[in-house]
Amino acid sequence: MVSTLAFTVTGLLVGGAFGFVLQRGRFCVNSAFREVLFEDYTMFRAYLLAVVVTMIGANLLEDMHWLGHFQEGAFVAGTLYRQAFVPWANIIGGYIFGMGIVLAGGCGSGILYRVGEGNLAYVFAVFGFFFGIAMTKFGFLKPVYDWTIAPERIVWKGEDTIPTLYNIIGVNKWIVITVVSAVLLVATFKGSKPFVKARKGYSWSLAGLLAGLIAVAAWWASEYYGGKARGLSFTGPLREFFLAVFFGNYQNNPAAVNPVESRSIFGMIFSWSSLYVLAVPLGAFISGKLLKEVKLKVPPADELFKVLLGGFIMGIGAQMGGGCNIGHSLTGVSTLAVSSWVATIFIILGNWTMVYFVLIRPMRALDV
Amino acid sequence: MSVKTATPDQTLDTLGRVCPYPLLLTKKALEKLASGQTLKILCDAPASAEDSIPRYAEKQGYSFEAVKLDDKGYWELFIKKS
Repeated sequence: MVSTLAFTVTGLLVGGAFGFVLQRGRFCVNSAFREVLFEDYTMFRAYLLAVVVTMIGANLLEDMHWLGHFQEGAFVAGTLYRQAFVPWANIIGGYIFGMGIVLAGGCGSGILYRVGEGNLAYVFAVFGFFFGIAMTKFGFLKPVYDWTIAPERIVWKGEDTIPTLYNIIGVNKWIVITVVSAVLLVATFKGSKPFVKARKGYSWSLAGLLAGLIAVAAWWASEYYGGKARGLSFTGPLREFFLAVFFGNYQNNPAAVNPVESRSIFGMIFSWSSLYVLAVPLGAFISGKLLKEVKLKVPPADELFKVLLGGFIMGIGAQMGGGCNIGHSLTGVSTLAVSSWVATIFIILGNWTMVYFVLIRPMRALDV
Repeated sequence: MSVKTATPDQTLDTLGRVCPYPLLLTKKALEKLASGQTLKILCDAPASAEDSIPRYAEKQGYSFEAVKLDDKGYWELFIKKS
């Protein structure tokens, strides 16, 4: 068992490093998906590169048996956490989440790291995100949520295997990884300028590479220190963080079977991953401070309201769909689970739908 | 004469606005300007000031210059529509 100090420090380090890189790389999956519609693929390339790095790294960790944690002095090997395929939840939740990120002005990780840059709007987005998550998991929308994820709606491969891209076509995992990586890498670098730098930040290729490496590190560390290979994700951890802060325990029902390691910090019981929520804005703050980009600022009231609503919609979608643009679209797709690939496609479609209504249509109206 | 020393024909204030409104408002303002006119944008969103707005200007082939006001914590961006 790792010490509370190691538990806390590593959780903060992984989250902090991610926040730092997001700020430096101006990395945002919301804009990556959105800008495709405006024929600017720069951020999308960074995203694809991060996916390839994470996919190869995560599966290497798994197959080399480097993934694991110590239990009573013995090394227990772990496997990547692959999400069950629940089509209704993945499709509807992903689509709703994709719409929400446009209104919120940032994705699951985007709204968190921009809190560190000092824009009050993103504090609203984060609170909205939690409200949406909590209401779906525990409250008003729980009946809908429970319906979408009911056991009879889970789709298995065979008896009880979680469907993945490789097991549904029945080939070796590494063949799929090779083919997918090759396709994505061609898409990433074709006609691109990999080393063009944003004025002070990282080039898109460095941002994508580092984001991927941190996601791989998170895979390893979440198992080693956190007791379960959840990888980098924000929906569950954000819920757990606020539950710990508000109610003292990261689980709503502490009597429930405890699936992950937890530690009491200042009397509040946190899961390892929930520490990201504190660390990502902190990492971004440090990066922003060094670049002299941190400033307290606040948008007009109507925008603040829209961002709160956007965060709320994101929360509903993320809880229902089983993850955000990082949990599904980076970490999840790297496991090759069908659920995450489907959810990611619908996150993109939801994003494009909302972009049409709030960005493209008003722009066209202006031309007339 | 560089873009930033010319007197701007219009000044756009996007301070505090969240992503992607600085870029969107910039696009809208530029559409209304005539060729040869200069737009000055006040922006405090790092990703927009450092990344998306310059990239958009470059793609359109407009001249672009940025001045970062460290003490005020925002950027003044100048785009000359061509």
